[in-house]
Amino acid sequence: MKNKVIAWIDKRFPLTQFVKHELTDYPTPRNLSYWWNFGFLAGFVLVLQVLTGIFLAMHYKADVVQAFDSIQHIMRSVNYGWLIRYMHSTGASAFFLMIYIHMARTLYYGSFRAPRELLWWTGQGLLLLLMATAFMGYLLPWGQMSYWGATVITNLFRATPFVGEQVVIWLRGDYSVSDATLTRFFALHYLFPFLIVGAVVVHLVALHSVKSSNPSGINLADKDNIPFHPYFTAKDFFGLGIFLIVYSIFVFFLPDRLIEPANNIPANPLQTPAHIVPEWYFLPFYAILRSVPSLVGGVVAMGLSVMIFAFMPYLDRSRIPGGARYRPLYRILFYVFSIDMLVLGYVGYIPATDASIIVGQIGTFVYFTLFFILPFKSRAEEAWLIRRGLPPAVVALMASEAEEKSKGQPHRRKGEAS
Amino acid sequence: MKALVMLWVLCCVAPLSWASERGKLEKIEIDTSFAARARGVDQVMTVCRGCHSMKYIKYRDLANLGIAADKITEWRAGQPLSAHITSQMPGEVAAAAFGNVPPDLSLIVQARADGIPYVYSFLLGFYITPAGLPDNHVFPETKMPDVMGVSGASAAQRAEIGGRARDIVSFLNWAADPHEEERHRLGYYVIAYLILLTVLLYLVKRQIWARLK
Repeated sequence: MKNKVIAWIDKRFPLTQFVKHELTDYPTPRNLSYWWNFGFLAGFVLVLQVLTGIFLAMHYKADVVQAFDSIQHIMRSVNYGWLIRYMHSTGASAFFLMIYIHMARTLYYGSFRAPRELLWWTGQGLLLLLMATAFMGYLLPWGQMSYWGATVITNLFRATPFVGEQVVIWLRGDYSVSDATLTRFFALHYLFPFLIVGAVVVHLVALHSVKSSNPSGINLADKDNIPFHPYFTAKDFFGLGIFLIVYSIFVFFLPDRLIEPANNIPANPLQTPAHIVPEWYFLPFYAILRSVPSLVGGVVAMGLSVMIFAFMPYLDRSRIPGGARYRPLYRILFYVFSIDMLVLGYVGYIPATDASIIVGQIGTFVYFTLFFILPFKSRAEEAWLIRRGLPPAVVALMASEAEEKSKGQPHRRKGEAS
Repeated sequence: MKALVMLWVLCCVAPLSWASERGKLEKIEIDTSFAARARGVDQVMTVCRGCHSMKYIKYRDLANLGIAADKITEWRAGQPLSAHITSQMPGEVAAAAFGNVPPDLSLIVQARADGIPYVYSFLLGFYITPAGLPDNHVFPETKMPDVMGVSGASAAQRAEIGGRARDIVSFLNWAADPHEEERHRLGYYVIAYLILLTVLLYLVKRQIWARLK
């Protein structure tokens, strides 16, 4: 019976072929470590956020008079409303944590390098969508931090050349953050996740066309590639179990740790909180924004600090594959970058003092310097490592990549016949 | 990669230590017993409610908590059980008298950093300045008068007031998050289940990977 049904479907839709191609026959390097679990986990959190979000939307009221009260209604009177809401608010942090680890893995192992540039750029697009969605979602509880956070961030668009004022009004739908802003942020906060789902499909199509990178950095022989299912489904589900334990500790025991106390005070346009802080996942970028004394400069620096990841395939000029695996200098840069992110995060968290501004400026300088010296450093490091000797497999891969490249883009001189 | 894990751990632990750096707040253990909350609600309904509302709490919630029906009947003064608890002094009158509308208390322990020690220390923080004016250590120049009479109290009276303040904070803590105990109870089951599930998933993973040579 089952086979008959599947045969019936297969005549009309490539179901079996799809499952085979994308799961049971999809070749995956067998040496993937647990660092390769985080893409799947991010996808899982996306589903969790959409599901909990739909149920929250059934009880939430996008109206400046009712928004804050409706959240309390969800927390107190809706059956398990507190659970759905805490899952959603914790889920936002979980989403960013998964994405940041996913990106850190990509940077560490150099998974962004050719031929995975498009995969990396679709990921960059997903990061922007995620940031926009999280930012708009944060306005919805209509607490003090929601209101003033949205006010500060929409204000940044004043930096737009010539039409700054108009852009800010256009974004808010009013002269200040108001009911019009709340309703449109709610509409877009409901829309964007579906754009993210679409972008995730593109990301996965790109992944399945170039396949996963792996920690060795070299292309594996066919025998070292194993089917995604059942091997990596089993591994991903084990990772999911660990994730869910940590997530549940936050949802059930520490849900308030991720909510600013000031956001439990209803929005009050007449009273600015003593200290406006964004959510933890924006802190390093916020610190960069504050480190530059001018508005336009700060906005440009912040935008560049997020978008600079997209340039990694070109900034990293080294032909040695495997990212930090074979490259000690690159590894040092990676760790300096990680520490710098934490320092900037701390600077973004505390109220600005003279000392913190200086630390933030040093952190910002280090942040961009790491990216700008990368082209020169990667070339120098490559020459040094080649002199020192590389594993034969790496040398072989570099040679085959060089050959492929020259085949792909034949050097033609002027006047030479093709 | 081990260093990266360490960074993440640091990242998670560091904010906890910054939060605890705030000085002069007296850490207290919350009494979660029904008796403490019942004493606390007495204080809140007879003293605090003079000026403060608790608009997210309904009289029915107090009944569900187990507060005696005759007390609730007295407090709600003819209002239905489904009515939200409002202050006895209208907001405009309070604003005219004190310069501010007194904040709603339903979420007060969540609306302040270190909410429980904050509210407790605030209640006990009243003193008389050398200039002879009342003030508060935790919230200088607060508009709230020293309702509990802390500033002129003897040591013995202070201890008694401290006990009442504890009860108030116990009740306010419940009011801010009435589902906290249910959340913790459910949390233990969920996490126990997930640990079991994860162990099984690990064994499944091992068994499947054992097929590889």
